[in-house]
Amino acid sequence: MVVLQPDPFLSELTSMYERSTEKGSVWVTMKRSSMKCQARLNKMETKGEAVELRCLVRATDGKKNISTSLSAKEYLKFQASYATVLKAHMHALKKRERKDRKKPAEAEKIPEKAPKKQKKASSKKSSGSKS
Amino acid sequence: MVYFESWDEFVTKSVELFRTHPDTTRYVVKYRHSEGKLVLKVTDNHECFKFKTDQAQDAKKMEKLNTIFFTLMTHGPDADISDVSGKEQAEQPQSKKGRGRRQ
Repeated sequence: MVVLQPDPFLSELTSMYERSTEKGSVWVTMKRSSMKCQARLNKMETKGEAVELRCLVRATDGKKNISTSLSAKEYLKFQASYATVLKAHMHALKKRERKDRKKPAEAEKIPEKAPKKQKKASSKKSSGSKS
Repeated sequence: MVYFESWDEFVTKSVELFRTHPDTTRYVVKYRHSEGKLVLKVTDNHECFKFKTDQAQDAKKMEKLNTIFFTLMTHGPDADISDVSGKEQAEQPQSKKGRGRRQ
């Protein structure tokens, strides 16, 4: 497991996404961690010291493991960069199709109903205007 | 493992799980570009909630969930996440300044 600073972690994560375009997956895990072992945590609690909360982020492509640890101050900047990386690489997902299909279908239904009403009044003029 | 159909229900359950077990809950994102699939998993090693999708619109929702989890993890399980949209608005002017500097 390679432990990196947030910026090198993001660079390595970017290259993982680029390597996995044709084959493979990228897993990213987020978990809260104080990054201290249990013994140390117990000592800190008995002394009354505040335990700093950090966010552990790990990533793997199935072969290589990388990780980084974020503090409360670092996470905002990391999160913005991370979102950019995701947007840049997650473009194989399907775009909205159902809503687009619904709109032309509804548009077709409305003119279908209208000629039926107008045919009763005067069919020739209404059909001419519509065509 | 439970796959959720509703995104909102998945988010509610995940946040609830994190709040009850902040030390053991983890959030995993798996992305397969070759299949165009995204799978999200939230587990505390006892319960597991999953959500899978192939829609681009869900990637945007996932980014909001990332924000929620980052906030919860760094500020504690009692952190207020109802202002996620407010935080995004606050981030936008900051990001604009950042773009100016990068240029």
